[in-house]
Amino acid sequence: MLVILSGLLLLATGAGFVGAISGLGGGMFIVPALVVLAKMPMRVAVGASLISVVATSAGASVAFVRDGWTNLKVAMVLECATVTGAIVGAFMAGLVPTYVLEGLFALMMLQSAFFSITKHEETVLAKGGPIARKLRLAGDVPDAYGHPQHYEVINVRYGGPLMLVAGVMSGLLGVGSGALKVIAMDQVMHIPLKVSSATSNFMIGVTAGAGALVFLSRGDVSTTIAAPVAVGVTIGAFVGSRFLPKLKVQHMRTAFAAILLLIALEMGWRAINGI
Amino acid sequence: MAKLAIIQPDNVSADEDRILRVWTPVLLRTIVLISMASLILGLIMTALYTPSHFVERYHQVQLGHLIGKQSLTTIASKVMSGEPRAILMMGLFLLTLVPLVRVAFCLGLYLKARDYAFVGFTAYVLIALVLGAMLGRIG
Repeated sequence: MLVILSGLLLLATGAGFVGAISGLGGGMFIVPALVVLAKMPMRVAVGASLISVVATSAGASVAFVRDGWTNLKVAMVLECATVTGAIVGAFMAGLVPTYVLEGLFALMMLQSAFFSITKHEETVLAKGGPIARKLRLAGDVPDAYGHPQHYEVINVRYGGPLMLVAGVMSGLLGVGSGALKVIAMDQVMHIPLKVSSATSNFMIGVTAGAGALVFLSRGDVSTTIAAPVAVGVTIGAFVGSRFLPKLKVQHMRTAFAAILLLIALEMGWRAINGI
Repeated sequence: MAKLAIIQPDNVSADEDRILRVWTPVLLRTIVLISMASLILGLIMTALYTPSHFVERYHQVQLGHLIGKQSLTTIASKVMSGEPRAILMMGLFLLTLVPLVRVAFCLGLYLKARDYAFVGFTAYVLIALVLGAMLGRIG
């Protein structure tokens, strides 16, 4: 038993560590690790991953919330869309054939690889959209000199549908869909990149939680797999977040993109074989 | 990491924000720590008392054989009798409660501040989370 348990813990710790230092979350790595290396069925891997994503999001978002980087109001508004999507996705996961899930996972990996090498500098808007102004979604970020700089939010109505898609992907594939969420907030709603990342991290917990609740109540979560995975991913993410300030992540982006591409190829190959 | 000065348009909003930023991390961290302790305890008990069952279950899960739905009362009674698998299940349930508790806390705060737009948003998320769990049991 100890060999299997240690193997699962090691796999999950590695996924949590890489997920934390790449900023993509443990879910992107634990699902393929469980499917390819531990030979687990996709739905078992997705259920275990969703629960571990809840734990890592809660741990990672604490500092961002406390220090004011997370825009809590934006999170509350957009969670309506991500939670709806996650519940729909979790129900669809029970109906969609495995090869479709593997194919979608491969596409998600490609999108994340592209996102990880194309991050750009933030733009700060001085005038917000009508919905954002009514809901008081604006906030402050420090400028280059550390002084608070006010930012406004636009295009809330376009951010919503993208969040719905992010939610569906989360419930279907057991990932946090952080890359999609950041794109919606940063590039569509023009929220500064660091605030978008912190807010996405905070929202991932509720999105994954919605999917995890469906999987758990449906009986699609195996304690044998999910328990060591949750513990391992959380430990890995904790260690990764401590290592992060010491690492030159900019230089590692290409390596992360290469890993994501390799996993995308493997999952894509499995999808083609499954048709 | 630099801390930001939170500037909000009115006092009610600033109060909500301050309470959320102080108490949300406390809530998140507490529940995660309790659930992690349950999971680690459950894994240690599994290794000590039911190692062969763990190996057998691992291979069954590889073949796609899951135990299926279990009621909370069944899990609770098994936890009371010290069954390792039930303790693991309790730890996983506790983890999924993290978002529920966080959203319920925000809902209470917005209700207190009479910020009805955000009462609507948080109530919708809370109802969706509960409904998703209930539909999962049926479907």
